[in-house]
Amino acid sequence: MNQELEHIFVTQLEENQNIVHKICKLYTNDSDSHNDLFQEITIQLWRAFPKFRGDSKFSTWMYRVALNTAITLYRKSKRRISTQDYETVSFKIKADEYDDTEEQQLKLMYNAVRELNDIDKALVFLYLEDKSYREISETLGISEVNARVKMNRTKEKLRKILNP
Amino acid sequence: MDELDILKKQWQSREQNLPKLSYNQIYKMLLKKSSSVVKWIFIISVAELLFWISLYFIIPESDLEIMDKMGIGKLILYSDIFHFSIFGIFIYYFYKNFKSIQVTDSVRILMRNILKTRRTVHYFVYYNIGMFIISSLVITIYFYTRSEQLYEIMDFANQGVPQENFATVFIVALIIVAIIVVGLLALFYWFIYGILLRRLKRNYKELKKMED
Repeated sequence: MNQELEHIFVTQLEENQNIVHKICKLYTNDSDSHNDLFQEITIQLWRAFPKFRGDSKFSTWMYRVALNTAITLYRKSKRRISTQDYETVSFKIKADEYDDTEEQQLKLMYNAVRELNDIDKALVFLYLEDKSYREISETLGISEVNARVKMNRTKEKLRKILNP
Repeated sequence: MDELDILKKQWQSREQNLPKLSYNQIYKMLLKKSSSVVKWIFIISVAELLFWISLYFIIPESDLEIMDKMGIGKLILYSDIFHFSIFGIFIYYFYKNFKSIQVTDSVRILMRNILKTRRTVHYFVYYNIGMFIISSLVITIYFYTRSEQLYEIMDFANQGVPQENFATVFIVALIIVAIIVVGLLALFYWFIYGILLRRLKRNYKELKKMED
């Protein structure tokens, strides 16, 4: 039974691992911390998995556990070597499709998102993942109206970071 | 369309060059141990509970004898019974709060429950420090008023302790010990807060601010 559960879990996580990687990338500065956080999220997901009833999609359930781990449970390690390479590879695009200026702007935008505080980051992340305000509010535990208000303020904050 | 919406469009359509872990790599992660904040809070909290409770068992017999001779043996016994009932209540609440920590709750509720668990332990520590200060004061005053009796019971005359300044020295020594103990505790908590809870508290405040 346990083995079967393990198999189902690992398969689902393997399929949906991008969600976790994206969160790790937003919340850590180097690949060691990225791996640490991924590891911790996996453990937390696995522990909570027996209670996962399947009344929501596996991925929806994952957002909550993964963000909770990144924001609340994860202890940032002392390694603080922020490697520029690690940040700039975040958007690798086929060169012929996009011109340089747009590319440059996106990089700046992405880096601006990374400068936000933990909560704002979660808000923006869920927004980028195309989650509804209802889902965002339920994940964070605030009202839908306040999620909208906060989102507008965060957009304002991003604008200020980009155009100081 | 603002910049964030442009990023959103690209966010979903582009490859983000993310790492790709294999089935086996993920499987191996299940066998590793967690090092989450909650785990550390649990370990530290249990250690604190045990520390304060154990203090009540390491009072040497000779001290109890002195208390008996000074006529407050019964009082100490009753206050111990009282303490242990209070300890029981704290442990019950600590256990209850700890059990309520669920990673599947919303971010805000998860944080609130962790802080609540921690607060229970803090109250437990405040209670102990408070009791430590109050009982030290009571005993000091009581002993001070009966310093001659104490001097005889402790047999200080034979140990060469002069009687004239005895009471003052005794009180100053007690006060210094109390200050050192409280100082060390403050340092300990400042340290634990630093490594475990600063970020959590900041984030919780941020979320609370949104709802106010």
